[in-house]
Amino acid sequence: MTDPGGAVGSGGTGGPALELDGLVKEFRGRRVVHGLSLTVPRGSLFGLVGPNGAGKTTTLSMATGLLRPTAGVARVLGLDVWADPAAAKAVMGVAPDGMRLFEQLSGRELLHYVGGLRRMPHEVTAARAEELLGVLDLRTDARTVVADYSAGMVKKIGLAAALIHAPRLLVLDEPFEAVDPVSSETVRTILRRYVATGGTVVMSSHVMELVEGLCDRVAVVADGRVLADDTVAALTAGGSLHRRFLELVGAREGVGDGLGWLGTAPEP
Amino acid sequence: MTLLVVRLRLAMWRSAMTRSALHLTSSVLGGLGALAVVAVLGPAIALLVLQPERVVALTVPLFASLTLFWTVLALAAAGVDNVLDPTRFAVLPVRAWPLSRSLLAASFTGIPAVMLVVLALAQTVAWTRGPGTVLAALLAAVLGCLTAVLGSRAATSVLAAVMGGRTGRLLGAVVVSLVTVLPLGLNLVVSRGGLVTDLASFDARGAAVAASWTPVGWAWALPFDVATGRWGPAAAHLVLAVLLVAGLWWVWATRLARVLTSPLTTSGGQRIGRGRLLPVLLGRSPVGTVAARRVRAWYRDSRLVSIALRTAVLPVFFVLQAVVTDLGVFAGIGVVSLGVFAGLTLMNDLAFDGEAWWLHVSTGLRGRDDRLGRVVASVVVFGPVVALTFGVSAVLGLVDPVVPWLTVTVTAFLASLALATLVGAVLPGTAPRVGGNPFAASSGGAAQGCALALLSFVGPAVLVLPVLVPAVLTRGTAGEWVVLVVGVLYGLVLLAGAVVLGGRWLEHRAPEMLGRLAHAQL
Repeated sequence: MTDPGGAVGSGGTGGPALELDGLVKEFRGRRVVHGLSLTVPRGSLFGLVGPNGAGKTTTLSMATGLLRPTAGVARVLGLDVWADPAAAKAVMGVAPDGMRLFEQLSGRELLHYVGGLRRMPHEVTAARAEELLGVLDLRTDARTVVADYSAGMVKKIGLAAALIHAPRLLVLDEPFEAVDPVSSETVRTILRRYVATGGTVVMSSHVMELVEGLCDRVAVVADGRVLADDTVAALTAGGSLHRRFLELVGAREGVGDGLGWLGTAPEP
Repeated sequence: MTLLVVRLRLAMWRSAMTRSALHLTSSVLGGLGALAVVAVLGPAIALLVLQPERVVALTVPLFASLTLFWTVLALAAAGVDNVLDPTRFAVLPVRAWPLSRSLLAASFTGIPAVMLVVLALAQTVAWTRGPGTVLAALLAAVLGCLTAVLGSRAATSVLAAVMGGRTGRLLGAVVVSLVTVLPLGLNLVVSRGGLVTDLASFDARGAAVAASWTPVGWAWALPFDVATGRWGPAAAHLVLAVLLVAGLWWVWATRLARVLTSPLTTSGGQRIGRGRLLPVLLGRSPVGTVAARRVRAWYRDSRLVSIALRTAVLPVFFVLQAVVTDLGVFAGIGVVSLGVFAGLTLMNDLAFDGEAWWLHVSTGLRGRDDRLGRVVASVVVFGPVVALTFGVSAVLGLVDPVVPWLTVTVTAFLASLALATLVGAVLPGTAPRVGGNPFAASSGGAAQGCALALLSFVGPAVLVLPVLVPAVLTRGTAGEWVVLVVGVLYGLVLLAGAVVLGGRWLEHRAPEMLGRLAHAQL
């Protein structure tokens, strides 16, 4: 990796923030990710879209050191994730989807916990935790255990936990799922500001409108392969990402004339 | 609909078994165990037919206590068999009464229920003294089995309602943990009485009459009443037993009706204290951070609360038994086994974290910090309990000589911690689901569970042996102090080795462990 002077994450310069090279994942001999390669430039807000079961979560897990790939290389800011996991994990923040948090801790305790694990000075952790809780509208529930949080609140506290050590790269799996419109706008603002200061975001989603409005680059993944990878403007080419996505993944014929019996149950 | 639900249950059972070899193995083992129990108990009960009435009367207290234990055990095991969780029927247009009938039928397809029915039939054989008693015994079998099954259903459904919230769950955990050690209390009472060795002078009629007036004994008393010609009590028992079955069914169906209309359990936003003490005590290093979280979990997580209570209450009975029977060795065994149990609680620590453990992986926490943090937490939680139990037993003069017992207790605690720290890093074990029933089996009876159970029994014994032998040999001499020091050092070395080795293994296999943890909560 050419990164003279060690100016890691100094803005849009230097090597890519995330580089996936020929990632393969097999579960019991069944291949779900087929030699996937992807390059995320620094300072971009990168969207990973694809239908259900496309391998988005699997790919992001392999990129963040949570799932060992069968083959292939993942590099974060030039650091090989699987050769030196700890070094790579130190520079990125991760918020996986559907994985539980330590639910017996309150929101504030969870943030302090992550800070402690990352060996941050306690004063820094505490100050950042308060700020994050405030911005994400979680302060009134800071002393409630995460077990009693709603799905959207869990998403927000997960995002806060990923941000607390000021990482260079943020990897978010479905960050907007179950988040209300107001909080969603807050999260978008946070992400835009984060990118403006030189950070890089990789997020997966299956809400096309959201990706189109927020991301500058997007990759379409289906069946464990990259179908397209370009800037949003180039990919949509004047149309909508929604239409382009359906074209790429090969939208099946609609339901046609079937299901004609829907709504024929007798009135009570 | 009944047939449909029974078929559904069998289909789910089959698919669970074909999907995983572990499930199949545990089911087969469970089935064989049940068969063994029935093969021994069944004929024994049936052969009572050859005995005089005063001996056959034994079936009344026997089946009454069986019914009681059934209900208590069902509380302890609730959630294990949630294949037919009634909330899953909430979106379907079914009514509570027909559903309860179907679920009742389905619950008789389980191995424990089949065992109960077979034993109840053996009871009918035992009462083959005339058409009257056979009829009464059959009626008793039907009503008694219904009482047991409906009683467990009613109790679990009421408890589930109480345990919707976090505070309720904690409360339920406390109550049921104490109830599940009830049999030990009974054992204490019985141990005063001595064993029955002579059948010729054995008379169970008194016990039968006493048991017949408890709710769990009403049904089972019918053949005894008929055989002894006590028609008044027979009529009373019949009416009471029928009313009990009807009442239990009504309670259960009412709860079902409630569940069908509000399947989502609500839990209010409970706030917790600030927890400022623990960081001060344990520091803010990664080790201290992990330790503080584990300590918090031991009193916040209802699953762990029930384990901690049972672990701590068990030795109390040993100590009490020592007082009652005047045999000090019971107290010593109690204290040592407390040390072992307390150490082994670390064994499935990772399973209790479950997938949430990804946070340790994602933050790049070092394996040995993870291990050591948990060890510190276990010492903080259980160290005082072990010390207190030992101190009380020593002051009461129950553990004697003191120093060798102390040596063995401390070594057992440290060695078990070491064993659990190392094994827990390789085999995560299983744990009940978060926020689910805290009494679900904490060790799945699968192959991994068998390996862990074997290690838990054999491991501590093997590890303590090198210290146990010199401790016994040097008792009463000055050498016992040397052995104490050596024993503590030996335990600490084991622990350090386990932390380093377990930590290294965990660090190398973190993603694989995470994959296993995704399925570690049952």
